[in-house]
Amino acid sequence: MSISDFLRGSPDGIDVSGPKLIASFDVFGVKINLTETVVLSWVIILAVVLLLLWLTSNMKTKNISKKQVVAEWAVLTIYGLVEDTMGKHWKKISPYIAGLFMFSILGSLISMLGLRSVTADFNVPLTWALITFVLIHSTNIRTHGLGGYLKGYAEPVPVMLPMNILSEVSTPVSMSLRHFGNIVSGMVITSLLYFALSVITKKIGIAFCTIGIPAVLSLYFDLFSGFMQAFIFIMLTMVYISNADGNAEEN
Amino acid sequence: MDFLSIDVGTILFTLINTGLIFLAFKFILFKRVDEILEKRQQEVTATYQKADDALSSANADKEKYAQAISNAKEEASGIISRAEKLAQKQGDSMIAKARDEAQAVREKASRETEREKNLAKQELQGEISELAMELAQKIMEKEINPKDHERLINDFLQNLGDKP
Repeated sequence: MSISDFLRGSPDGIDVSGPKLIASFDVFGVKINLTETVVLSWVIILAVVLLLLWLTSNMKTKNISKKQVVAEWAVLTIYGLVEDTMGKHWKKISPYIAGLFMFSILGSLISMLGLRSVTADFNVPLTWALITFVLIHSTNIRTHGLGGYLKGYAEPVPVMLPMNILSEVSTPVSMSLRHFGNIVSGMVITSLLYFALSVITKKIGIAFCTIGIPAVLSLYFDLFSGFMQAFIFIMLTMVYISNADGNAEEN
Repeated sequence: MDFLSIDVGTILFTLINTGLIFLAFKFILFKRVDEILEKRQQEVTATYQKADDALSSANADKEKYAQAISNAKEEASGIISRAEKLAQKQGDSMIAKARDEAQAVREKASRETEREKNLAKQELQGEISELAMELAQKIMEKEINPKDHERLINDFLQNLGDKP
């Protein structure tokens, strides 16, 4: 095997490709693809629903079980985070923030089971970024009025209008690409590394490299990176919405 | 699928999936935990209320008992003072009675003594006069007129009787 093969990727070695297409429908002339990403999302949803049902089953007010402690801690932590970054009047968005966080983490960590990360499909973080985009602008219009919202584009001076529009558009783009790029680069690096280590193992005949090193790197690229990107994504969502909120509490 | 592509189908499905996750979190985790927290809050409030009620009722009881104890003390001191007075009175009356009785006994004794004395005196008088008579008879037989002697002796005895 030569370096060029390594970089090009070989059919039996590196598999860095897009999500597999499972089915395709034609709905009113629009082609709707059912991909690996969506199916894995359903697996994640099922896992989350089962986890939440288990966590919240048999809750009591006294002598609480450990899983109830976890459930209450999770809820109160998210409430605290949302109230700290957005203010008390945004408490109702907490379930969305928690859900997004969970979806993002599990979507990234599913790679540790040998499956393709849901968040390594650009469409997923793009969808979330678009939801955030809609929330930002609806909040802005709701709190400033349509006139105030439109006037905001011409501030501080009208000549800034193109810049402001660009800035608004770049927000979802940067958010989605950041998330996608981090996860997918982790995925690519991990794949390359596994491939390289297996090549080295084949060459020297001792499997010392494939034990241990991948685990440590996977810990960083999958676990840490997945967690960080999920956290960054929800924090940015909250901060952007809060910034657009004209009723934000001054603290 | 391409490595980096925008796919409407995936976006729509992800939108629905995100909505499902949101609903799962909202109606399973957050709703249930909120309910349980609310319930616990109510229980805590109720417990505090109960504790406050118990405290105030305990304070009321304490007041009542303090009142009862002070009443009991007053009553006890009343009883004691009454008992003391009664005892004093009874003691006084007993002493007075005893004194009266002692007086009566003494008087009786004194009367008895007087009577005994008189009796003894009379007896003595009788004996002495008899003795004197005998003596006088003897003397009369020997020397003098018995009439004079009897008078003398009677005078003497009369004098004697006057001086006890």
